[in-house]
Amino acid sequence: MESERIILHIDMNAFFASVEQQSNPELRGKPIAVIGAAKRTIITTCSYEARAFGVKTGMNSWQARQACPDLIFVVGNNRKYTYTSTQIIMIMREYTPLVEVFSIDEAFLDVTGCLSLFGSAERISHLIKARIKEQFGLTCSVGIAPNKLLAKLASDMQKPDGLTIIAKDKIAQILERVPIQDLCGIGAKMHQQLSKFGIKTCGELGRFPVEVLKRNFGITGERLHYMGLGIDDSPVVPDEDAEEVKSVGHSTTLDKDITERGDILRYLLQLSEMVGRRAGRYKVAGRTITLTVRYADFTTFSRQQSGSCHTNNSEDIYKAAVQILQGIELTQPIRLLGVKISSLSSHTEQLPLFPAELKKALIAGAMDDVNNRFGDFAVTFGSLLGRDNGSKVISPAWRPEGVRNVDVE
Amino acid sequence: MQRFAEKIRVAAIFAPGCQVRPVWFEWRSKKHAITEASYFWKDHYGDASRLHFAVSDGSNMFELMFDTSDQNWTLEGVE
Repeated sequence: MESERIILHIDMNAFFASVEQQSNPELRGKPIAVIGAAKRTIITTCSYEARAFGVKTGMNSWQARQACPDLIFVVGNNRKYTYTSTQIIMIMREYTPLVEVFSIDEAFLDVTGCLSLFGSAERISHLIKARIKEQFGLTCSVGIAPNKLLAKLASDMQKPDGLTIIAKDKIAQILERVPIQDLCGIGAKMHQQLSKFGIKTCGELGRFPVEVLKRNFGITGERLHYMGLGIDDSPVVPDEDAEEVKSVGHSTTLDKDITERGDILRYLLQLSEMVGRRAGRYKVAGRTITLTVRYADFTTFSRQQSGSCHTNNSEDIYKAAVQILQGIELTQPIRLLGVKISSLSSHTEQLPLFPAELKKALIAGAMDDVNNRFGDFAVTFGSLLGRDNGSKVISPAWRPEGVRNVDVE
Repeated sequence: MQRFAEKIRVAAIFAPGCQVRPVWFEWRSKKHAITEASYFWKDHYGDASRLHFAVSDGSNMFELMFDTSDQNWTLEGVE
């Protein structure tokens, strides 16, 4: 049984594009699309003016230009977005400590315990919206509801700059006609599967026999039933209470498909260095190394191997990744490479016994010191010199603090 | 935006509350009075905190950066 809660979902409107329109007043009111700096880039997000022409996130620039010939492309500035997001989250935390960052432009707030301080949830929403507008000129859509599922649904109902409340006594009435794919957690595949049962709306999902759902979808079946009824007991989990990360990884879509072993190894070294640096910064080490490869035709697979001890040493990670690569017969040019460490433990540094190991640890430590002071890749492996290193994309798992705080270019 | 990395002379007001507001800058022998500061953000490069400003002189957009570690101003971009 759900206890009475009041949850806010705050969703920044066309976040990256809106930041760019605020940075450059010439872009305001115009159709713009934010793209990456990489050669093979897609549209990260676009302004509402561009959306009116049918431009969508994920389109390549040619498709977008077809949809909107006057579209203005702006190369995104990830550091501008992570800074803005972090500041906005700090504003939210002034109203409640229970803030769960869902992605760089979305967060859930549990304001149940803060109403005596600030009045109603509606007032808190207006205050936060006003602060964000005043400080950054940005708008957001807010959903207020008794749980996260409905708060997210509510924030999607009015865009841009909306405020939607789903009151407890209106849940059944509102959900009756809401298409199931509007619920967070029902993707294209699940939508297709549920359609086979004739389920199109949340009302239909809630009424559908739960036993049949369980038989077909296992444990998810019961969850689907509750989603149809608008029931969601999941708590708002602030970052400090979130589960510890299970892996540290980086991947990169290459500027062009590659086949040469030397090229592959250079990318693996770069990725291993990024993984080692981030793991070292947050004092975690992994025992399992995973290599991910995506071919030109988007076939993607991962292979992993586990060592006897934990490491966050870039060179060790690289050697393991190369060893995994040697066991793979590559059948196509490579489009994407990824390196990840998992089976993590909090790293307690132990001085190596043998001179060669000690030397390696001291070199890695010295490199870290220099890079901490002068920036990532200030000192690096010779084969990475002159390359455009570092993370170019803000991962959906990005968070303002902790090991998920990936430094972006 | 065309990217540059040129050290420039800037006049700025350092106000209480760690607020910095560039007022004018010189670039390629021309003085540009800042008529609008439209956006501000901060990042780090190694130890250094860097303050970024999107500003306009009424005809062009500029991106200025103040590096707090060496107190240098850099013109980073012109639109």
